[in-house]
Amino acid sequence: MELELREISKSFGEKKVLREVSFAAKGGQAFGLLGRNGAGKTTTIRILMDVFPQDGGSVLIDGEPIDYGKIRIGYLPEERGMYPKKKIIDQLVYFAELKGMQRRAAIQSIDYWLERLNMAEYRDKRLDTLSKGNQQKIQLITALAHDPEIVILDEPFSGLDPVNAMLLKDVVKEEIAKGKIVLFSSHQMHYIEEFCDSIAILKDGRVALHGELGEIKHSYPRNKLVIRSAAADEILALPDLAGQKTDENELLLTLPSAEAKNETMKMLAERFDIDEMRVFEPSLGDIFVEYAGD
Amino acid sequence: MKQFKTILNFELKSYFKNKVFVGITVALVLLIAAAMFFPNIMAFFKSDDGAEPEQRPVMLIASKSEAQAEAMREAFAAAFSDYDVRAAQSADEARQEISQGEAECAFVLTSPTSYTYYVENLGLYDEKTAVADEILKNAYRVEAMIESGIAPEQAGSILSEQVTHEIESLGKDQMQNYFYTYVMVFALYMVILLYGQMVATNVASEKSSRAMEVLITSAKPTAMMFGKVIASCLAGFIQLLCIFGTALVCFRINQAQWADNPIVCSIFNMPPELLGYMLVFFLLGFFIYAFLYGAVGSTASKLEDTNTSVMPITMLFIIAFLVVMFSMSSGNLDNIWMKLCSYIPLTSPIAMFARIAMSTVPPYEIVISIAILIGSVVGIGVLAAKIYRVGVLLYGTPPKLGSILKSIWKA
Repeated sequence: MELELREISKSFGEKKVLREVSFAAKGGQAFGLLGRNGAGKTTTIRILMDVFPQDGGSVLIDGEPIDYGKIRIGYLPEERGMYPKKKIIDQLVYFAELKGMQRRAAIQSIDYWLERLNMAEYRDKRLDTLSKGNQQKIQLITALAHDPEIVILDEPFSGLDPVNAMLLKDVVKEEIAKGKIVLFSSHQMHYIEEFCDSIAILKDGRVALHGELGEIKHSYPRNKLVIRSAAADEILALPDLAGQKTDENELLLTLPSAEAKNETMKMLAERFDIDEMRVFEPSLGDIFVEYAGD
Repeated sequence: MKQFKTILNFELKSYFKNKVFVGITVALVLLIAAAMFFPNIMAFFKSDDGAEPEQRPVMLIASKSEAQAEAMREAFAAAFSDYDVRAAQSADEARQEISQGEAECAFVLTSPTSYTYYVENLGLYDEKTAVADEILKNAYRVEAMIESGIAPEQAGSILSEQVTHEIESLGKDQMQNYFYTYVMVFALYMVILLYGQMVATNVASEKSSRAMEVLITSAKPTAMMFGKVIASCLAGFIQLLCIFGTALVCFRINQAQWADNPIVCSIFNMPPELLGYMLVFFLLGFFIYAFLYGAVGSTASKLEDTNTSVMPITMLFIIAFLVVMFSMSSGNLDNIWMKLCSYIPLTSPIAMFARIAMSTVPPYEIVISIAILIGSVVGIGVLAAKIYRVGVLLYGTPPKLGSILKSIWKA
């Protein structure tokens, strides 16, 4: 299954929020939707979920306009919140029923997820008796209980302790393995790098960068080497090499061309005691700053 | 449709699980039951009739002429049977006793046809002077008749002759229908205001708790709006049914005790077709206001903002209520204001209802009024759903009406 947004435009009053936003996400993969605050991520998600209509463009599933009666979407909004005074099981069943589930199936699925997220003991408690992290786990169930084909997670890891973050990672991997389209929106780049095969970076309502993360990284000139070695100073002293030490106490060498890298690596490995040596690739954070920054 | 049912169910359950809602309903039911059993309870405590003479409040009669004082004391004692009527020597003595709290009031006669009435606190409904006027007038007339040669017995019978009359109202009888109209208009007013506000608060609290973020992506705004409004309508209706049902049942049980109370009897003997009209105007009036309240509630992002946001709607309804109440007590239900109000959809639920109950309204006027109301309910319902759709996603300061309408136009 493939989800495609094609030339989506949206204005609120005079303000153009989205200008011909296009990207595609495949089933069985995670897709990272990135952008600075106010870049148009939430608006894109809301149009994708049919909260309000786009001014132009279309949302397609396998090339056909999306049928919201058939395609189920699960959403964990960045602004978390449910009914604080109501019993957890009651509101989870309510949300699942709103998504079209039958009551009995809803209860069964919710009980599975409560168990899966180690929250079964809170089933009949009121939501406001739970800690923030646990409330977030409950809210995650509203996004997953109805077994959606498309899962949209907006900052899913914020506010989770490392143990819960690990649990959520496992859950996300399971969902991806089931062939679902998982759409991530986050400012925590290492999570995006860990999960997402493809990304789109929005800037001022436009897609500034879109593609497979591996390819994007590969497209950068491959004429830099990262080296970790005790002989860093001696390497720097070599006449033909321009380089500098990084904050991580590694050596970053810039070669005249990408073609020179294999020969240089061979030469260095023969002459010095090298702990680690690799071709430099920019991190997602670097790419983000480059495309989304001013 | 399934979403609508789910929402209706959920909202209705929240009302019945809400301790305040249940508490108020139970309290009102108990209160009304207690009120209906009041005569029985009173009779239980009051074992023997008539209080002891020394327990009755004291009324003093003073006159310069001793003969007049004694004659008047007897006449007053007969007229004010619940007072211990005593003679006083002088006006000063009477005043002193009143200020010391030994007597409640005093009549100091200055001539056969004039007196000064002394009382500690003059009550709003103090009608003793009217009775006293009558006593003195009678005494004076009997005296005058006897002087002109009419026998005392004859004079007495001439003066005690009563005029009898019967009233047959061909239209409505306002003496009969005033009280039940009052009760019903008041019930309409209370329920619409109360539940309208509840709808507004309910929407605003979903927004402030951010449950709206999940809701709006799970359900259609129209289903949410209609589900909420109809749920609160049903809750309000059930509450009214409980209270009025209890009142009716308790009244039937105690009917004998209430037989000599025409006001209470008139309330419970209202014509059944009026209940039908009440139902129609309750539903339509409720919907129109609940839609408005819901729409306004959706534009507030904090609970505190709702109170100010709903103010204009509440004020409008209060004004309508006051116009109706004044017209009812003036007795002229068909004045130009009332006629106007009975066609404006926001005021017609109570204005037209009061007119139907207390005056004779041509059927075509009722039909037109209800038709306008139904049309407006549909129109405002659609508009409210659109405002709701835009409003629930707006955070920050509540938007101006103009900018909302603009964004609806564009959406």
